[in-house]
Amino acid sequence: MPADLNWAIGGEAGDGIDSTGKIFAQALARAGRHVFTSKDFASRIRGGYTAYKIRTSVDDVQSVVDRLDILVALTQRTIDENLDEMHDGSAVIYDGERSWEAEIPDEVTAVDVPLKTLAEEAGGAIMRNVVALGAACEITGFDVAYLDEALEKRFGGKGSKIVENNKEAARLGRDHVREEYDLDHLGYDLETTDEDYVLLNGNEAIGMGAIAAGCRFYAGYPITPATSIMEYLTGRIDDYGGHVVQAEDELSAINMALGAARGGARSMTATSGAGIDLMTETFGLVATSETPLVIADVQRSGPSTGMPTKQEQGDLNMVLYGGHGEVPRFVVAPTTVTECFWKTVEAFNLAETYQTPVFLVSDLAMSVTEQTFPPEAFDMDAVEIDRGKIVSDEEVEEWLDDEGRFRAHAATDDGVSPRALPGTLDGAHMSTGLEHDELGRRTEDTDVRVQQVDKRNRKVETAKAEEDWDYREFGDPDADDLVISWGSNEGALIEALDLLEERDVSVRVLSVPYLFPRPDLTEDIEAADDVVVVECNATGQFADVIEHDTLTRVKRINKYTGIRFKADELADDIEAELSTEVPAQ
Amino acid sequence: MSSDVRFTDFKSDKQPTWCPGCGDFGTMNGMMKALANTGNDPDNTFVVAGIGCSGKIGTYMHSYALHGVHGRALPVGTGVKMARPDLEVMVAGGDGDGYSIGSGHFIHAVRRNVDMSYVVMDNRIYGLTKGQASPTSRSDFETSTTPEGPQQPPVNPLALALASGATFIAQSFASDAMRHTEIVEAAIEHDGFGFVNVFSPCVTFNDVDTYDYFRDTLVDLQEEGHDPTDYEAAEEVILDADKEYQGILYQDDESVSYGEQQGLGDNMSEIPDGAPEDAMDLVREFY
Ligand SMILES: Cc1ncc(C[n+]2csc(CCOP(=O)(O)OP(=O)(O)O)c2C)c(N)n1
Ligand code: SF4
Repeated sequence: MPADLNWAIGGEAGDGIDSTGKIFAQALARAGRHVFTSKDFASRIRGGYTAYKIRTSVDDVQSVVDRLDILVALTQRTIDENLDEMHDGSAVIYDGERSWEAEIPDEVTAVDVPLKTLAEEAGGAIMRNVVALGAACEITGFDVAYLDEALEKRFGGKGSKIVENNKEAARLGRDHVREEYDLDHLGYDLETTDEDYVLLNGNEAIGMGAIAAGCRFYAGYPITPATSIMEYLTGRIDDYGGHVVQAEDELSAINMALGAARGGARSMTATSGAGIDLMTETFGLVATSETPLVIADVQRSGPSTGMPTKQEQGDLNMVLYGGHGEVPRFVVAPTTVTECFWKTVEAFNLAETYQTPVFLVSDLAMSVTEQTFPPEAFDMDAVEIDRGKIVSDEEVEEWLDDEGRFRAHAATDDGVSPRALPGTLDGAHMSTGLEHDELGRRTEDTDVRVQQVDKRNRKVETAKAEEDWDYREFGDPDADDLVISWGSNEGALIEALDLLEERDVSVRVLSVPYLFPRPDLTEDIEAADDVVVVECNATGQFADVIEHDTLTRVKRINKYTGIRFKADELADDIEAELSTEVPAQ
Repeated sequence: MSSDVRFTDFKSDKQPTWCPGCGDFGTMNGMMKALANTGNDPDNTFVVAGIGCSGKIGTYMHSYALHGVHGRALPVGTGVKMARPDLEVMVAGGDGDGYSIGSGHFIHAVRRNVDMSYVVMDNRIYGLTKGQASPTSRSDFETSTTPEGPQQPPVNPLALALASGATFIAQSFASDAMRHTEIVEAAIEHDGFGFVNVFSPCVTFNDVDTYDYFRDTLVDLQEEGHDPTDYEAAEEVILDADKEYQGILYQDDESVSYGEQQGLGDNMSEIPDGAPEDAMDLVREFY
């Protein structure tokens, strides 16, 4: 009996795949089960294959695997797309009354449910997916009462009639399977627990982290997969005195966010690759005007418009080096959905403490993955806010020059200057993208130029010394071989460890959430036999950086199909890579 | 805020490097006077400047200020004002900055109607890059990059503003100090986006749109009895290509600014020490 269950619903975009999947995920979470979801969607609004997959277990689940147990197929293509993941304990729920002829392999249990007819019986064809959910409950022995709770959450706002009709639809689906089939739950047993879980994705966690951290201004321009951060904040940030504005483009978005930050608001923008390209012009301005700003990049497949709805970690070079001239910055990359929350909080603190741009780098896989967590994972009492060196009316005096002018860009020992928010008496000053002196006035004086460049770079040096730029560690601490990863690959890696252990392969895994400054891995790498860097891009951008830092060649596992790593696939790849030589380059 | 602010308080001690005689001197003086006359002081004023000779204005004035990148001053001003409704926000730049590289932002800033003023020093040339055609250059105006003239009709920024739903459109002349100051004052006091296109001659690269040219041709709309609240009358003068006007061309006196419409009143720089008290509600939403 499998410890976990892999469920999916697939059909055409516009079939309500997403919301149906979400309802089932919520029902499972209500039952105290862990859930990890993934989405497969095409870049179109109607038509095109789309699927919502759920992996659920009473234990923590952090990845998808190449196995599918229950599939709700609204189209023939759904079956075709998933055939290779089905096995002899799998079941497919389909509507035999539809015109397509379902070709379902013999070893897979075909469960024909008249979805549309039963939905109409319950009050409307639109509920056919809910009928399928009811059927899925019966097949897996999962109590529909949990589904009821999720339906209430989803449709409660639309009135009790809609909720009741949906509950009825689910029951009709359940009863149909109960009466027409003798499946004995196919051996599945969806155990429940008393745990209370919250279910959310990476972008929601970033948005929630932003509000918790005191972000009050967000400007953005819609782009997949970053938009849902803006959608989350819209309507919520207002409750905390903030505002979201949809700008005319990314150039405007980042400049608006910069303006709000100059006004003293904790401020943020988010985008994805193509938008980062446009924002690059302003990176230098943010850095040289010493404005605290959080810029989130939720990566997707590039280059150019690439594959907008597909996973990639291809923007590392861009966030590390983008912008002309030399731009001091921080680059922080959460590795899990909860980290999306905490690293967002940290990004705001870093931005204000050091008065620099901070890139918060996430990726498509994390942005759409819904995962369950105990609510304490987002303990708001643990949120700390550090606003850095903001000076009060009284403190301004310390920072005036002989002529009473505020030294907004004073070349301090730690590189961080006093910050007078507009409205502070006698703090008036200007900042500029031009090289400037301590007062913010344009200069081409060679000494002052060097002083200011050094001063700005000194902030990074100070931060390197003052903050923890550590990594997360998993696996066998004494293993000879080392696997290094960044971004959302962490979950799949952790699960791959279990699979590797079964094959007597032990490795030590470092998941690195700080990309600049980043932890010094030299000792770890020198102590290891084999070092493998795992990332979702073709060239190994992080591997390059590590080789540069440590002067040691590393092995690489790169995936750039547009699909995130799966645990079982990763276990195979790591095992294979450990038995090869490091390629000469 | 002190009540005895003088316009010289808005002057920085940096000596302008503009060419002697540049229209930007007069434009800037009027802006400083208008700010002082409307009861502002450097500590509650934020000036955002573009790039160009015109954009240097932020350096020569004294207030909270940001001199940004080319063409993006309006978004910066928008962000400042949304986060800090308590501040007086003024954005300044050139015709190239505002109507070429920044033209997309211009249209949207106009229609967004954020309560700030926007002063464009229109010299119908690119000054800082030494004399190339600008979007307001005449179609036969010969420059280093357009030896035969741009061969395209100039942009009419006033018409662009009107078509974008502007609530305040004015034009002034840098050397008519009194009128220019009055007009900028009106833009500041306007409840919404106050747009002023200023004829600000470039004495080095533009020998057509000169002080003399404007002195000879400018028609003062208020002297003519033009009613700025009359949309059709505004349309007529704005589309009149045969005359150069100064004055307030259009003003929607019932204008509701973006901030008012969106209920933005909070100073967003003030935040709690930790997460807001009821922040756990945000988590509970995901149950
Ligand atoms: C992205 C970018 N492109 C080009 C430039 C070069 N540049 C500086 S000022 C300017 C034109 C300014 O013209 P205008 O706005 O009319 O101002 P003026 O100098 O005439 O006052 C240009 C093209 C730049 N600074 N940045
Ligand atoms: S080049 Fe023209 S616009 Fe620039 S300072 Fe000289 S006169 Fe003024």
